[in-house]
Amino acid sequence: MRAFLRRAQPHLHLPMLLLAFLFLAPLLWMLSTAFKSPEDIITGLGAMRWLPRPVTTENFRSVLDKAEEFPIWRWTGNSVFISLAVTALVLTVDSLAAFAYSRLRWPGRDRIFSLLVATMLVPGQVLLIPSYLLIRHLGLFDTYGALIIPAGAGAFGVFLLRQFFMTIPVELEEAARIDGCGPLGILRHVILPLARPALATLGIFTFMGTWNAFEGPLIFTDSLTMRTLPIGITIFQGRYNTEYGPMMAAAALAAIPVTIAFLIFQRHIIKGISLTGLAGR
Amino acid sequence: MSVLPHRRSATRSLRDDGWAGVLFALPHFALFTVFVLAPVVYGFYISLHRWHILAKTHPLIGLGNYGAALSDDVFRIALWNTVYFVVLVVPVGNLVSLLLALGLAGVRRFQTFYKISYYLPVVISIAVVAVLWRWLYNTQIGLLNLYLEAVVGGLRSIGLPLPAFEPLPWLSNPSWVMPSIALLSIWWGAGGNMVLYLAGINNIPEDYHEAAVIDGANSWQRFWAVTWPLLRPTTLFCLVFSVLGAFQIFGQTYVLFAPGSGPARSGLTLALYMYQQGFSQYEIGYGAAIAYLLFALVLILTVIQFRLLSNRDDEPSQANRRTA
Repeated sequence: MRAFLRRAQPHLHLPMLLLAFLFLAPLLWMLSTAFKSPEDIITGLGAMRWLPRPVTTENFRSVLDKAEEFPIWRWTGNSVFISLAVTALVLTVDSLAAFAYSRLRWPGRDRIFSLLVATMLVPGQVLLIPSYLLIRHLGLFDTYGALIIPAGAGAFGVFLLRQFFMTIPVELEEAARIDGCGPLGILRHVILPLARPALATLGIFTFMGTWNAFEGPLIFTDSLTMRTLPIGITIFQGRYNTEYGPMMAAAALAAIPVTIAFLIFQRHIIKGISLTGLAGR
Repeated sequence: MSVLPHRRSATRSLRDDGWAGVLFALPHFALFTVFVLAPVVYGFYISLHRWHILAKTHPLIGLGNYGAALSDDVFRIALWNTVYFVVLVVPVGNLVSLLLALGLAGVRRFQTFYKISYYLPVVISIAVVAVLWRWLYNTQIGLLNLYLEAVVGGLRSIGLPLPAFEPLPWLSNPSWVMPSIALLSIWWGAGGNMVLYLAGINNIPEDYHEAAVIDGANSWQRFWAVTWPLLRPTTLFCLVFSVLGAFQIFGQTYVLFAPGSGPARSGLTLALYMYQQGFSQYEIGYGAAIAYLLFALVLILTVIQFRLLSNRDDEPSQANRRTA
């Protein structure tokens, strides 16, 4: 019976394939444009061609050559550094907190946890203006700190890890306790090794979310060298409004690292979403 | 006998960890207090003042900013555009996600390939997405108009009585702007909810489908009798978070029309208006009030959605409990 119901339905493949093409087409077109010569982009048949002829790296070179005006390597470096730092910060403070909310008892614990969960419904925009003043006041404006430290305050990671920690049998913890482990030892030697899938999911999402973040970097930094790749792309667009070749090259440079990361970790990512209900952003 | 004392000592030592709990929660809670709790409260405080960033004083004006917003024509445009976007993107986007998930549940071969294709746009930054779609939407040489023109031309050449192709004004005609933004947003986000719907579909016990098949249900009837009602918690979750996300639309219109807000302000959304007021005009009191109005709107809608969708969900389970 199971086999009967789960039988593949071959007639679905045609629409599914068509849809796959529709979803991939814009990204393929971005790559195609990025490798086209300027004449090909604007003229008749060349403009409709999917495979550029001739293939040229001119657009990429013109993006990378403008290092003075558009420090794209610096932006890439900023994005990498900030994303890694935020991921490390979130994994550290969130696993400590999730342990406290799931495995330790202390007064007010559940009430504070409800407060954390409730703030997950607050739109990010509400925080922008007061955070901006706060960040200026703390002297963090236009520094890496402005993009890293506040990112450790979110409630989602704590929520996610707490749910996972609660599924780990208490018996394991008790055994460690009898062997003389304190809370930190239990977290390090019992909980964290067993929670690796949840930590990986949270880590990947945090990294991708930070890499793609837009409003924070837009508002909390303002010098050219402190920008991240997504903001850099819009700066580039503002200047090269109609030069679609270089623009698509820059867009492709920003999109390729996350795309590769996604293809490597896709199993984890997709499992992570269904596990946590996080849609990926 | 030997188990009980262990248990007791274990729970006692758990209680003894009182300070450890506070200590472990503290790093996150400190950040949370400074960068979430305090801003939520401080933002409301700011919204009660006439507050220009550069001005030395900021007089308390009570709900003055809120009153000003409600009688501000530009605010009304932004509100209308945002609501219009939500109405376009939430139902259609969720329908697309659900259909993709149903399709995925029905195939076995190439499932991973399809999943990756539909999900890939989700991992790409909105800045890249908007820059890319501005190119696709280009009136003269954008992909969409080029190919539509070719299709229309082809159909005319085989004798179909179609009018000559007029380039579609994707981003230049005010009444096209929000539908165009909705289209790119659905492309960008459909994969996220798709995975959630797929997980919901896969969680439905196979027996239910088997029972329906035995009763002679075809796949259409099976969808309405089994899949759809059992998927309700997933649907509620997806709808609530889609609405929450859609109301915050910012990046799309910021990048497409930077630095303005589109022809005749047709791309102006609440978040963008807040940004303009707060960070271009430096009227942060007014900007904060806009953010709080957005918050209130989203909160009310979330409550309504929970009422509408979860009540119906409770009834059968309560009925079951009564008969049991």
